[in-house]
Amino acid sequence: MRLGEPTKMQATINITPLVDVVLVLLIIFMVMAPQMRKGPDVNLPNTAKPTDQGDERGRILVSIDDAGQLWVNDQRVAREHFGEALRAAVGAEQDPRVVVRGDAKLKFGEVREAMLALDQAGFRGVGLIAKKTGAEGRRD
Amino acid sequence: MQFNSDDSGSGLQSEINITPLVDVVLVLLIIFMVVVPLLMQGYDVDIPRTTAQAVPAQAAESRLILSIAPSGCRILQPPTGEGLPADCHVILANQNVPAAELPARVAEILGDQPPERRVLFLDADDRLNYEGVLRIVDLAKSNVQGLKIEFITH
Repeated sequence: MRLGEPTKMQATINITPLVDVVLVLLIIFMVMAPQMRKGPDVNLPNTAKPTDQGDERGRILVSIDDAGQLWVNDQRVAREHFGEALRAAVGAEQDPRVVVRGDAKLKFGEVREAMLALDQAGFRGVGLIAKKTGAEGRRD
Repeated sequence: MQFNSDDSGSGLQSEINITPLVDVVLVLLIIFMVVVPLLMQGYDVDIPRTTAQAVPAQAAESRLILSIAPSGCRILQPPTGEGLPADCHVILANQNVPAAELPARVAEILGDQPPERRVLFLDADDRLNYEGVLRIVDLAKSNVQGLKIEFITH
């Protein structure tokens, strides 16, 4: 080197700790991603061409798990309290949109009944959430 | 240094250059952070009003009804693998149609209709598997832009 110090000075920043931190963050996000969503774990049906339903934030998530239990967002609700729970979830929201996450193992009748209950609670269209066939992970 | 004594004067780097790795990892991290509150995919469906005020755009007799019965399509259990059973038949406008022909038939009937009349009424048996029914809905929707699905409830 020009300056000729006896100990060879490093001119580059040591980015190894940065890489460590970033990798750990990446792993944390990858692991946490499935847990960050609302509602119970539902094995969504696989279909060929589901259309985009937008972001799940700002939606009311109605889930039906494989035992046929109804959930509104994070809470399991009994069938007879379904309407009240929905109204509570709507709260002050102006344009409430409801999506239904039904388990793939369900009978069609169970989903239809939930939709009927939604209809009686005053909601018109709902989105039935599915997963694109072959999509890896929990892209739901 | 001892070890470098064989190197030429240009000071060869003995460390791996990890800068590109860092770039890739940072981009991955950003992608994950952005995509986590993920987008959902699915099907918009509707329930027609049960009372007298039916869907105004559609008179009862001109409705296109898609019926799925367990006798025509054996999807009482979740279908294995992709797609539907090969011998799956559905009833579209009172005609028995193989499920594979469904996209073409629906497009034929509704394709030249104005958008507000592109409505398909779905009458599926309650005992059928939900995933199987959604796959049939998927087929029916696949060739028509903006097709609305209405569930018939008994």
